[in-house]
This record gives sequence, structure tokens and C-alpha cells, in this order.
Amino acid sequence: MGENVLEVENLVKRYGPFTAVDGISFEAQRQEIFGILGPNGAGKTTTLECIETLREFDGGSIVLNGLDVRRQPQEVKRIIGVQLQSSSFFDKLSLVELLDLFGSLYGRRVDPLGLLEEVELADKAKAQVKELSGGQKQRFSIAAALVNDPVVLFLDEPTTGLDPQARRHLWGVIKRIRSEGKTIVLTTHSMDEAEELCDRVAIMDAGKIVALAPPLAMIEKLVAGGFKKDRVERLASLEDVFLHLTGHALRDE
Amino acid sequence: MRLKWKLTVASTKMFFRQKEAIVWTLLFPLFIVVLFGFVKFDGIGRMHLGVVNEAGANGAQLLGKLSGVKTFEIAEGPRDAEVAALGKGERDIVLVIPKGFTPGGAEALTAYADPEARPRETQLAVLVLQRVLDEDAFAAAPQVRRSIVSMEPVKTRNLTYMDFLLPGVLSMSIMQMGIFGVAFSFVSLKKRGILRRLWVTPINPSDFIFAQVATRLLTLMVQMTVMIGVGFFFLHLHFIGNFLVLYLLGILGAVVFLGIGFALAGISRSEDQVAPLANVITLPMMALSGIFFSRTNLPGFLRVLTDYFPLTYLADGVRSVAIDGATLSQVLPQVTGLAVWAVLTCGIAVRLFHWE
Repeated sequence: MGENVLEVENLVKRYGPFTAVDGISFEAQRQEIFGILGPNGAGKTTTLECIETLREFDGGSIVLNGLDVRRQPQEVKRIIGVQLQSSSFFDKLSLVELLDLFGSLYGRRVDPLGLLEEVELADKAKAQVKELSGGQKQRFSIAAALVNDPVVLFLDEPTTGLDPQARRHLWGVIKRIRSEGKTIVLTTHSMDEAEELCDRVAIMDAGKIVALAPPLAMIEKLVAGGFKKDRVERLASLEDVFLHLTGHALRDE
Repeated sequence: MRLKWKLTVASTKMFFRQKEAIVWTLLFPLFIVVLFGFVKFDGIGRMHLGVVNEAGANGAQLLGKLSGVKTFEIAEGPRDAEVAALGKGERDIVLVIPKGFTPGGAEALTAYADPEARPRETQLAVLVLQRVLDEDAFAAAPQVRRSIVSMEPVKTRNLTYMDFLLPGVLSMSIMQMGIFGVAFSFVSLKKRGILRRLWVTPINPSDFIFAQVATRLLTLMVQMTVMIGVGFFFLHLHFIGNFLVLYLLGILGAVVFLGIGFALAGISRSEDQVAPLANVITLPMMALSGIFFSRTNLPGFLRVLTDYFPLTYLADGVRSVAIDGATLSQVLPQVTGLAVWAVLTCGIAVRLFHWE
């Protein structure tokens, strides 16, 4: 810990007159889960796409594992793993064939079954992506993002649209991948996800980072400032009730 | 190279695992060929003759002679029914053999026809009828001297409509695969974010395009072989061509239409945008490039215009190689035409194609 793997400095991205990302700076450290939190349209996805070399940006710099993203996009692509929001995979190929194909895009021979085990999809090896449930699809796209043994893994709203069981299950997968030495940068608009998963979060609004700290530190700072909720926090939430009634077991297997 | 190969293998697998792809590229063209083959356009040109026999056995004798004339498709019936059939257009001419008719006799026969509606058929039918009656008369009175055209039988290849149709439909399906196949599948890859996912890997876009094109060309060769094979073995296709020249033409044609397909994929964001554009391009060619019917019946300006359609070059070339056994040098005009089109459409595709 402590070493910066990703350094974003004064990043600016405009679409015509609209400034989607307005001079943000942050860094992610090795083996950290870094969260970018914010409402829809805050600029989270655009920020990720700039780092992932999918978009050119108008100002600032991005350095990833010592590589300049603007000048060395091909080298950057080799060492990142990406799960895009709402992107799909080819039809008519099995999960194993897809992973094999993606591996060859990096000039690598991969162990498809090993990767599928990593995301607990080994029993679906022969299935096609369209036969998978929402949670399984997300786990598969994480497996596909791991084919090149990336230094940094980018996940864009990985749990959006999943039921509570699948969400919790995916959190487990993400934590395990981190424990194996990867740095993870993810976006979310779910507060409990950020609180549960992330070591540090940047809260974005209207293209700017309005706060950056570990989740707990943010809460403590707010409380120390004299903030009080209107309602006293109950000892359990509705989600706790839901999980208590329906169990933690995955429904999509 | 290994990557190009792997991508090609993968996209070929994807292609052939789609049931629709097999149906549309292999079965549908064959289905069209068989269907049009059944319609028997060879039979067009025969005349429908209605005969009303009121002369009993003598009439039957004449009827027998008429049945020997290949030009006629004969139906026999009572006068009312036959005249009514004429009115409905089911007969071209109705001949009445009157009571008291004797072969070689000099009785007048009546024929009903509508010379205004069917001038050609009426005239020809009257001529042929008169000829049959004359034969009868001459047989009865052989002393009449006359000039006779005698026939010298010659063996021709007896080419049928199938020989015209199958190479045309084959060319048409090459066009469909190039334009519809590529445009639709690329727009779908774009829309579903599959291309974006590829661009965050170090893939070289040209490798990807290479695999897509290679898959199509491979499919094309399978398609050509299967269609000509089925035609030759099951549909009496008079195939005498050279497969290498045929593949060359097919590949050139495919490149032309792949160019159009990629250009359409480049300017369209959804399938809804592709479909009308693709139809505007393909429908006129399907109708006017001599796929189902010869272009000889087109009015002059249209024939000159359609001379330059890429599908015309392809269909004419494939047809002369497959059926007339034309050599590469004999189809050089078609090869050149296709090559010019290929440069043109691929150039446009490069300008219009966008990944996003």
C-alpha cells in the first residue's frame, strides 16, 4: 500500500460547450479499491473512459503504472482490465471460447476454467453469455477483464440492476480479486456499496470531485461538524429484513 | 498472424452457429431457385388453344393432329365454355370444328380470338392452324406443287431457365450477404457495446476487419460450391465452368458489396437506419441486373444504365463462366467492372466507417 498506481491530474473533458469532467485530480494506490461515487451524469463514466483510453481528453494528465495514457494508449491497454457499463459479448461463443479469444487479443494463452472459477462460473463453461443471469453476466465480464492479469481493474457500476443477493455475492468476488494483489477502480451510485467495498471514495458532482476520503472518515467528519439525521437510525434496514427473509443464497444459479 | 487466424476461426464459428445464417445464405437462395424452377418460364410462349369439336370422329382426327403441334396447349370443351374461357383470358384462341367437317374438305372453320388484346398470339395461332389444315388438304390432293422447308436437326446444349436463374440467384445472394450481412451485424456490434469492449484491449482494428472479411469470403466459397453442386446434381444445371475463375469473380463481387455493407454500417446507428438504405441499393439491382429475367427486354436507356450495375457484372460473369465455360480472359470486362466498383465502394467505406 501507499504506492500510486494511477494518478489523474486536472483532468478535463468537454463535449462541445458542456464540460463533463471539470479539472479533477485523484490517485489510486496499489491494491486499493477506489470508488468514484456520484449521481447519474456526474462524470463518473466519462472519467473512467478517459483513463481506459476510450476517450481523448481536453486537459490534464493521466499516468497509469508509470505510463502516460495520452501518449502510450496501446501500452496502457495491455495492463488494464475493463468491465464496461452495459456492454455485451459476442453471441454464439461459449464462455470458454470467449475467454480464449480475449486472451489471444493480448497474445496470451489463458486458463479459461481457472478464470471462471475465480468468478464462480466454472459450471457455466459451455454456456453462452445470453443464457446467463444479470449477476452471472457481470461476473463473466469481470473474468474477461482478468484475462491479461491486469495491474488495474476498472468496473463501471458493476452491481447496478442486480438483486441484493447477487450484489453481495459480487462484492465478495471483488474483494477476493483485490486480496490477490489487484488495484480496483469502480464507479457506483450506491452508498452502501461504496461504504462496504471501497478503501477510499471520491464523490463527484457536476464534473468535479467534491470530497475524497475513506468512507468512514467522511461520515465522522460530517457528524463532528454537528450533523444530525432527522430520524434516529434503526438497528436494521429494509435490506436487512429482505435478506433475513429471502436468505443470502444466490438466485441466479 | 496467429491473432488474425484465431479471430477468423472465432467469427466463422459464430457465423455458422447462427441458424438464420445457414438458412439465409445457403437454403434461401436454393429455395428461390427451386421455386422459380417450378414456375416453368420455359412454358411461356405456348399458346392456349380451345377446341370445340362438333364433327365427331372427323373432328377428333384433326384434334389429334393439332395435339402434335408443340406450340399449342390444347383444351377441349363445348362452345359456351370455351368462349367463356377465352373471355377470361384462359385461352388465346378458340377453334370450332363444325358439324360435317371432313379432313381435306373445303369447309370453313371458325376461330374466336381478340386480336386487339393479343395481336401476336392471335396472328401466330391463325397461321399455325391454317398450316395444319393445309397439310391435310395437300395430303388429300398431292398434285399441288409447293416449296417445302425441310428441317435439319442440330444438337444444341438445350439450356434451360435453370441455367439462367441459378447463377443469377447465386450472384444475388453474394450481394445480400455483403450488404445486409455486414451492415446489420456491425451495427449490432456497435449498438451492443461489443466493439467498445474490444477497443479497450490492444486489438488492432484491421485484424478485426480482416477476420470479418475472411469469414465472409470463406462462407461465399462454401455457398458457391453448394449451390452449383446442388444445381448440377439435382436441378440439371449445365455447369461446364472453371471453379477458380468462378471463385475469383465471387470474391471480387463480395468485396464490392462488403464495401457497401461497411459504408452503411459506418453511417448507421441502428438496424432501423440500415434497412431502408440497404433496400434502396439492392432492390433495383435485384430487379434490373438480369437475375430472374434477361435484360434484353429492358428499354434501351435502362439497359445501358444497368450495364454498369455491379450486380450485372457479377451475374453476367458468373453465368458465362458457369454455363458457357468462359475463361478468365473472356470475362475480363466483368472482372474489370467489378474491380473498379471494388475500389470505389471500399474507398467510400474507409471514409464513412466509424467505430462509435
